Amino acid sequence: MGNIRSLEKVTAWDRSTAIHLLSRTLFGFTNEDVNFALSMSIDDYVDNYLLSDLHEPQSPGFWVNDTDSYNNSVRSRELTYWWYNLMLTQGHSFREKMVLFWHNHFVSELSVVKLPQRMYHQNRLFRQNAFGNFKELTKQITVDPAMLIYLDNTKNRKEDPNENYARELMELFTLGIGNYTENDIVEAARALTGWQVEGLQSYFNPDRFDDSQKTFMNETGNFNHEDIIEIIFKKPEVASYICRKLYKEFVYFEPDENVVDQLASIFRDNNYELKPVLSTLLKSTLLQSEEIIGAKIKSPIEFIISLTKQLKLTSPNYEYMRDIANDIGQTLFSPPNVAGWEGDKTWINTNTLPARHIFSDRIINGDRSPLKILEYARNYESSEDAEKFIDEIADIFFVYKLSDGRKEYLMELLLDGAAVYDWSTYNENAEARLISFFKSLCRLSEYQLT
Amino acid sequence: MDLRNFIRQLGMLAGAGAMSMTIGNTPLRAFGKSLYKIKEVNGKVLVLIQMSGGNDGLNTVIPYEDSLYYNARPNIAISKSEAINLNSLTGLHPSMQPFKEFYDEGKLAIVQNVGYPSNNRSHFRSTDIWLSASDSDEYLNDGWIGRYLGNTVANDSNYNLDHPMAISLGSTQDTLLSCTCQSGSMGISFEDPNQFFQLINGSSADTDPPPNTVAGHQLKFIKDIAARSIRFAEIIKEKADTINNQVNYPNTDLADQLSIIAQLVAGGLETPVYLASIGGFDTHSNQLGRHANLLNNVAQSLGAFQRDLEALGVADRVVTMTFSEFGRTVEQNGSGGTDHGAAAPLFVLGSSVNGGIWGDNPDLSDLDGSGDNKFKFDFRQIYSTMLRDHLGAGPDDMENILFKNFETLPLVSVKHISSGGPRAFELNQNYPNPFNPSTRITYTLRLPQVISLKIFDVNGRLVKTLFNGYKEAGTFHEFFGGLKYPSGVYYCQLISGSYRKTIKMSLLK
Repeated sequence: MGNIRSLEKVTAWDRSTAIHLLSRTLFGFTNEDVNFALSMSIDDYVDNYLLSDLHEPQSPGFWVNDTDSYNNSVRSRELTYWWYNLMLTQGHSFREKMVLFWHNHFVSELSVVKLPQRMYHQNRLFRQNAFGNFKELTKQITVDPAMLIYLDNTKNRKEDPNENYARELMELFTLGIGNYTENDIVEAARALTGWQVEGLQSYFNPDRFDDSQKTFMNETGNFNHEDIIEIIFKKPEVASYICRKLYKEFVYFEPDENVVDQLASIFRDNNYELKPVLSTLLKSTLLQSEEIIGAKIKSPIEFIISLTKQLKLTSPNYEYMRDIANDIGQTLFSPPNVAGWEGDKTWINTNTLPARHIFSDRIINGDRSPLKILEYARNYESSEDAEKFIDEIADIFFVYKLSDGRKEYLMELLLDGAAVYDWSTYNENAEARLISFFKSLCRLSEYQLT
Repeated sequence: MDLRNFIRQLGMLAGAGAMSMTIGNTPLRAFGKSLYKIKEVNGKVLVLIQMSGGNDGLNTVIPYEDSLYYNARPNIAISKSEAINLNSLTGLHPSMQPFKEFYDEGKLAIVQNVGYPSNNRSHFRSTDIWLSASDSDEYLNDGWIGRYLGNTVANDSNYNLDHPMAISLGSTQDTLLSCTCQSGSMGISFEDPNQFFQLINGSSADTDPPPNTVAGHQLKFIKDIAARSIRFAEIIKEKADTINNQVNYPNTDLADQLSIIAQLVAGGLETPVYLASIGGFDTHSNQLGRHANLLNNVAQSLGAFQRDLEALGVADRVVTMTFSEFGRTVEQNGSGGTDHGAAAPLFVLGSSVNGGIWGDNPDLSDLDGSGDNKFKFDFRQIYSTMLRDHLGAGPDDMENILFKNFETLPLVSVKHISSGGPRAFELNQNYPNPFNPSTRITYTLRLPQVISLKIFDVNGRLVKTLFNGYKEAGTFHEFFGGLKYPSGVYYCQLISGSYRKTIKMSLLK
């Protein structure tokens, strides 16, 4: 394990490597997806599929350009279902995971922003820049209507500066705490004055702009928001801050600072273009190292969407998915606060873990889904051979490899007292056994890891 | 009384009990089972109310004779005529009427200017500081409550481990309840006891040991949570089902959380710490109406909670305290709001609380470098007070919890309580043992309390009462002489309130 922490490119592109890569970059996958990835080289797969620039998807409806607040709650549901659907149907693209990453980075909350339309347009901005240029995204999000409202920058004007956005821009969005002074916040707030929102548009109002000299991070000038961002991005900490966050999200929750430094230097060398960083990371031995395989706790959305995809449900019950996502701590467009969802162990507690189990139970027994378990099982080549079937299912459902003991336990559930050679999905009680088998499978603690 | 009952009363059912005597302080947890429960429940309970976002202290407790206050806040100050009058200098926000009643009844303490040196104005950092009880420049990975539970309650052989040590009402578990000494959270969280029970029903814990890898550690964490949910769900439902709330609560999340806490406390759950929370205090803009609603929610919800506790007969045991990561700027901003500030008042509510206003109104003519309120009380002084005077933590425990000594405030009356809880006293093994003819029994009281010290024989008959009455805090000795008694096993029991501790002694002639 000499170079486990290395960003060198993997040499082995095999089934377990592919399964791990897919589990971190997609919202769930099927057997067919793994085979597809393995039909080409890892370079080809990462650069031409995961990181490819897809067309923009259709919007959830004409209402996204309406400025009224008619039917807000219906629209916000439609918006969530629309995003769920994208997560389920964007094939081999990494884009939706990055959109969620940005949603959790440049946080806004629907309850403050009021109009789902504004959240849609912000989401669109994330999608357009999902793996584009981070500096550019920062400039655009600064004048994004939802963000302007969310962090009070519409109220920030020459006579009465409001520091809320200036602070979070540095503390949470770019530099991290400790890399700026309280005075930098005061000066940045002045440079960020003048922006207002009308309906779904933001605009610059020169009358409210503090049109005078500011001294920000030892530079003096009549700065506006773009100047401030340019100055912030001169600091090396920006690249480290973002790369650390990418590491925590896609590799492991406790970052290796040495690797973060290496990624950050790639990020700076490429003038904050994300693709070179992501491409290196996704192909690296680091992401593929034994050490981190299965070491990520699934976020609620990952958990819900990946189960849906694993079970090949084409018309899932979005309403139920949204209700459960809410119960287990991740309502899209409503992060808990400006720092976003914290992730990792905070996802799992004595309340949310049982709720995750209830979700998988109800999806599998058809109570809240159109699942036909027999048909589903028969999709697998191995469906009539209990041992092979368990192996094949475990391969797709678990990134964290199951012990032999766990597989035996699953086998007992599947056979329910019968002999191995007697197993068939055409047995009289096969349906009940399959339901109990899949329910228990998803209740294994290992299923929460990816 | 038959022998079995007697031994039950002593808390020494064969097995776990016997072991606890021979190996002293080893936590019973290590044996995977808890002592037979004999004590009635009257342990103290601390309820923490987290007001997230940074509550505007100046508009909560109003210094209405201070012109500097009105100068700094031309549009959003609360006028003297609006404020609820507490005394000639200080008032309460008009939407906090229930608090005025508690103030008049001497049940509400207002501690002014609580904060810490080198105030941090980041929500997240300052919240971490409050939850972990760290210094401003110190980074701790666990919480003060977690350290209290992990270092003291978890090691207390009298604590009933069938009951969770802390409960967080709400869907996220907090830094607050975690302890690195026990590698994880000391508490559990849920929103509703019935729902929690239903969720758990049908799960089973698994016992495969996870490997010692990064992923294995994650798996162990999830397995532990799974096991913990199963363990506590039943008792929580049982306790909640026992009790009906005696008052009507307002229809808010905070009130829901508090009504459940009241049921659990009155139902006999022995959990010593609860956390409830309410968000939205980050009032950067148009704060007047929003802040009024928030404070109204807090006052009405806590008001109902306190009255409910009183009606349920458990109010003597419960103290509720509020906290928020910081106060807000003295000056209003241009958006009709206030920005992140520094020191602010907090509330301590309860029947055993020494009501009143502790400390002076903020000195608005003497602000810190950023123009914010200076702190006069370190927030850890309040924690220290709660730990020592309310929960009964000993002076030695404080080193593991708050790491240094913080002067306590007389916020909680310690004199008239019948028992400070199981941590308030200690009974040592007699010396010599076995003995003939006499032996010395040493015990320590961490608080002044009414106690009795009695000797029983193996048949449960009272042999002798060594002491019965009020004692100041301190370490004491009593002697027991066995001249006129036969050889055999004797039990010495120290009783305080409904807590008791017992040692086994052998008279060998």
